[in-house]
Amino acid sequence: MAESADLPITGGRGRILARTRLDFWLDALLLVAYTLAYSLGFTGLATHEWLGIGLGAVLLIHITLHWDWVIRTTRKLLRPGGRERFIWLVNLLLLLSMTLCIASGILISEVALPQLGITPPASSFWRQMHDTTATLTLILVPIHAALRWRWIVAVARRLAAWRPGRSR
Amino acid sequence: MKFLRHLTAVVLTVAVIVGLGLLWAHASGGGGTRIGGGPGPAPSRQVLLRLRQIKAGVITVGPADNGFHLADTRNLIRTGEIEAALAAVVITVSAVRRRRRRTRRGAATKA
Repeated sequence: MAESADLPITGGRGRILARTRLDFWLDALLLVAYTLAYSLGFTGLATHEWLGIGLGAVLLIHITLHWDWVIRTTRKLLRPGGRERFIWLVNLLLLLSMTLCIASGILISEVALPQLGITPPASSFWRQMHDTTATLTLILVPIHAALRWRWIVAVARRLAAWRPGRSR
Repeated sequence: MKFLRHLTAVVLTVAVIVGLGLLWAHASGGGGTRIGGGPGPAPSRQVLLRLRQIKAGVITVGPADNGFHLADTRNLIRTGEIEAALAAVVITVSAVRRRRRRTRRGAATKA
């Protein structure tokens, strides 16, 4: 999502770029999957665990798609200008907490991994880590999304008006 | 090709973070693998209570808990509310700052 805001939304004749559409729908999918995965009481343990593992895989693609932004912004960190630096910091914290949350979730898995024949060693350290990082992600995910709310609104408006095969 | 290169970089970054986490766990002695076979610390009161509840069938864990609890949407609604509230705060702050910047720029142009 971070890099998407810097990219043009539309191509020739006002058509939405395929990359913009991919970013938008992938981000929407991630947000919905994250919200469901966080709501353990609603999903139940098995769905929570499998959803978390799936979320991890899709997150790798999400970060890969925005890797150019990561490199570009990291290089520009020493220059003045607060907003991009703040977004970079939020994204870094989110990367750390989300990675540790998913990794610790896998290490304390009670259903998904045993179903695959793997029994992870039970540990209160990883359980504590999972609880703490999950709370952190709940704070950081909406901030991460809201920092690009103008891009989200702009693309959503275009998508609402867009019809496949029709140039505007 | 570029995608694969970037994916490799991302996987390496994630591996470094997980590696640091494992080191942290090892350093704090809570990695979950106990070498030497000591008895370890006694379980806390909460853990004992949870075990008693599992034995009594008050709470279920493991394969029995494998589906959506569609009737229990409170948890989902609460998550959505927290996310919406935090996003609303960020959007409001961002909009106010943008408006202030525009006003200041407008005043500077007029002057």
